[in-house]
Amino acid sequence: MSFDGLAQRALDTAAARGSRYTDIRFDVARTERIEVRNGVIAALADGTSSGYGIRALVDGAWGFAAGSEMTDGAIDVVAARAVAMAKAAASIARAPIGAAPDRAYVDTFATPMLRDPASVPLGERVALLLEAERLLHVGPEIAVGRAWLDLWRTDKTFYSSIGSRIEQQIRQTGSGIAAMAVGDGDAQTRSFPGDNGLYMSGGWEVVERAALRENAARIGEEARALLAAPQCPSGTFDVILGGSQVSLQIHESCGHPAELDRVMGWEANFSGTSFLEIAQLDKLKYGSDKVTIEIDNAMPGGMATCGYDDEGTKSGRSDIVRDGILVGYETSNDTARAIGRQSNGCVRAQSWEFVPMIRMCNLNLLPGDVPFDNLFDDVKDGIYMESNRSWSIDDRRLNFQFGCEIAWEVKNGKRGRMLKNPTYAGMTPQFWGSCDAIGDELAWFPWGTPNCGKGEPMQVGRTTQAAAPARFRGVAVGVGYGA
Amino acid sequence: MEPNVRETLAKRTLAHSTADRTEVLISYENAALTRFAHENVHQNVASEDAVISVRAIVGGRTGVAQTNRTGDDAIRDVVERAIEMAKLAPVDPAQPDLPAGAPTTTPPGAYVDATAAADAQTRAQMCGEFFRVAERDGLWSAGYASTAARGYTVANSNGALASFDGTTAGVDVKMSAADSTGFAESASTDIRLVDAAAVAETAARKARETKAPKSVEPGAWTVILEAPAFAELLAFLGSHFSAQSYDEGSSFASGALGTTMLGENVTLRDDYAHPLALDAPFDFEGAPTQRLSLVENGIVRSVVTDSYWAHKLDMDNTGHALPAPNAYGPQPRNLVMMPGTRTTEELIASTKRGILVSRLWYVRTVDQLQAIVTGMTRDGTYLIEDGKLAGGVRNLRFNQSILEALRHCELALDLHRSTTYGYSIVTPAVKIENFAFSSTTEF
Repeated sequence: MSFDGLAQRALDTAAARGSRYTDIRFDVARTERIEVRNGVIAALADGTSSGYGIRALVDGAWGFAAGSEMTDGAIDVVAARAVAMAKAAASIARAPIGAAPDRAYVDTFATPMLRDPASVPLGERVALLLEAERLLHVGPEIAVGRAWLDLWRTDKTFYSSIGSRIEQQIRQTGSGIAAMAVGDGDAQTRSFPGDNGLYMSGGWEVVERAALRENAARIGEEARALLAAPQCPSGTFDVILGGSQVSLQIHESCGHPAELDRVMGWEANFSGTSFLEIAQLDKLKYGSDKVTIEIDNAMPGGMATCGYDDEGTKSGRSDIVRDGILVGYETSNDTARAIGRQSNGCVRAQSWEFVPMIRMCNLNLLPGDVPFDNLFDDVKDGIYMESNRSWSIDDRRLNFQFGCEIAWEVKNGKRGRMLKNPTYAGMTPQFWGSCDAIGDELAWFPWGTPNCGKGEPMQVGRTTQAAAPARFRGVAVGVGYGA
Repeated sequence: MEPNVRETLAKRTLAHSTADRTEVLISYENAALTRFAHENVHQNVASEDAVISVRAIVGGRTGVAQTNRTGDDAIRDVVERAIEMAKLAPVDPAQPDLPAGAPTTTPPGAYVDATAAADAQTRAQMCGEFFRVAERDGLWSAGYASTAARGYTVANSNGALASFDGTTAGVDVKMSAADSTGFAESASTDIRLVDAAAVAETAARKARETKAPKSVEPGAWTVILEAPAFAELLAFLGSHFSAQSYDEGSSFASGALGTTMLGENVTLRDDYAHPLALDAPFDFEGAPTQRLSLVENGIVRSVVTDSYWAHKLDMDNTGHALPAPNAYGPQPRNLVMMPGTRTTEELIASTKRGILVSRLWYVRTVDQLQAIVTGMTRDGTYLIEDGKLAGGVRNLRFNQSILEALRHCELALDLHRSTTYGYSIVTPAVKIENFAFSSTTEF
């Protein structure tokens, strides 16, 4: 369906009412969620949602309104509401903060896909999950088995009053399994592939790559074994984190604090602020010289991969941390201009009814040169941890405490017995400063997060933090369980 | 969308279904929020939408489909998709019939015209109060003012038909100085009861009083959690009272109905009709919601159910279903912690040495069955010495069992509604002995 006529009407109506710049984004979304829980279908749902969000800029202040009725009359009402919102914001503004994009694009983008999930019969999709979930039940200790699948199709068309017209077909897919074992007053969970499952942009090939059936019995066995495993000790240890946990560490301790709207205080009352202050740009020692973190919103498979962000900025690569030094932020037009830079295209909205804002996109820790097995080589007394279970960090993103589902002790370079309830804690710059080895490209993987929360009204973002396993020296371990 | 329009839409949708049983949920929301920082509005947003959700049951198999289009073609399509999904699902032998529904009474005051009618200018005026106080005190402010009207209608082929409409108005603000911050919030169904100026004054006072924070050693402290902080903790206890968690063994209450698990002074209820947080008297299946005690004088009294878990566990249906599809099981929606006898000020006065916490942040479960959670203090953390507030302290991380905390606590008298994403909880402040702080941070 073409939205050209409705879009032009919205742009005209907003301009006539005083908007200096206007954009409108139409979204048509189709979602499928299947979840099997203990042998029965807990969710089998097919959803559609379509609508549009209009941004208007008046006297340096933004207004946003969204509606779903696709008629000329409704478009007029929503466009007028956006302008009224902007005028109300301008009426109490102490300074203009809105900045319109200065470059227009006419283009299309479609997520590369090897196999359209729609070509896989629904019965086959259900059967895969039923079997994978069944295989988790390796014994009576498995109180809860879960297997799930998400298919997300979003068609977006973006128009702006400076001439952009961008059509995008975004396809994202995810699946996973989890087993919870209960016994002797304890409950232990194992998830696979990561704690969220495996989420990427793409088609059915993402589900095949997850290999749920092939790994289900092992995951069930590990959950059961954790009940009898000894408690992870408390103290100071060298720590090796598995790839999905490094991904989470990047997400919480670099991805969020490098959001420039947060740095500028726009999230202060809710998500918090940031220790990555603008005065520290190009100076702050964020981590060791092994640590380079970059944005790549055009990478294959990234959950945030697209052609253009939701204010019409073209996707590309940019640096956040280079050789351990803070060198950039995730930005929008407004915020980038405030520090004399150009937007690097990190603006997303959850769906048509939400205002676009800075979101963590594909923000990746570049691989090192150490094969995974060699990360253990000179660790005399350490802990190897996998799969996140608990995550908490202060509202400037300094003091963190994370827990994992499973760990193994490491003695003299060898992985030993399984440990349960592993946790570790630290302060962000010191922790990344203790990173002395990062796994190589063979161990590097684009771990996707489908449910990142930010903003008011709360929006759910989809993001990727590609990472390899990494080693950290002298880390506080066992916090919350005796330390 | 008026309730009679939703009910007509629900009946039209039901009429299209050929499934054995069909449930229709019509959800409507018209919401707006003005968000600001540094005395500038950076987001001023509004949206309106109505969603039709259809749950079809065919031969003991269930499918769900949703759409936000309301034309005849869209209605026919959403019903057909739900039936198609159902036909491909395996039979669930525990699937009960849909509830027949029963008459319920919406608590008066749940919907307030003044809240529904509030516009962008009204919200701007509320924000102006925050700006005024911040500039007067040499602080900067960040927060929001929001208004929303929501309604939902449930209808099913067994004759259930119920509609609810409610409104919410809310503000919160964080006031920041060079090295201190303060937070306050207010929420009500009635915008006229949300006093932005008073909220601004409270947040500003906290920022002023906690300047130049001192470091204190982590360890076991006497703490007083103000209501917004206590609500953050209680939010992590709610799911323990789900019949699903209870049955699966992931709740501290599993097998403990009738057992004393918390202090004798602790009574926790789920109450949709509490005057501070008025909500729907029925759940998302159209079943009447019971007002019940989850914990009474420290004894675990009940878990909440929906039609599925009531049938499976041979319990009463307490009317706590979430919208289908729901893999999380029934959940309490309106937690109310019953108050104690002394005011928060009297609790402070009774404390020789302790810490007053205004707000918590990033609380997460560390250990499920022990209900150990970790998190940080934020936005107004005080030292208490000799019964008086004695300036700010740098923020601390805690690792604390909620159960352990509620065995050694004193609840304050004054109740507060704390509303954030995912919950609305009514609670007083609480004084807790031996609260376990594990580390500090730099601010």
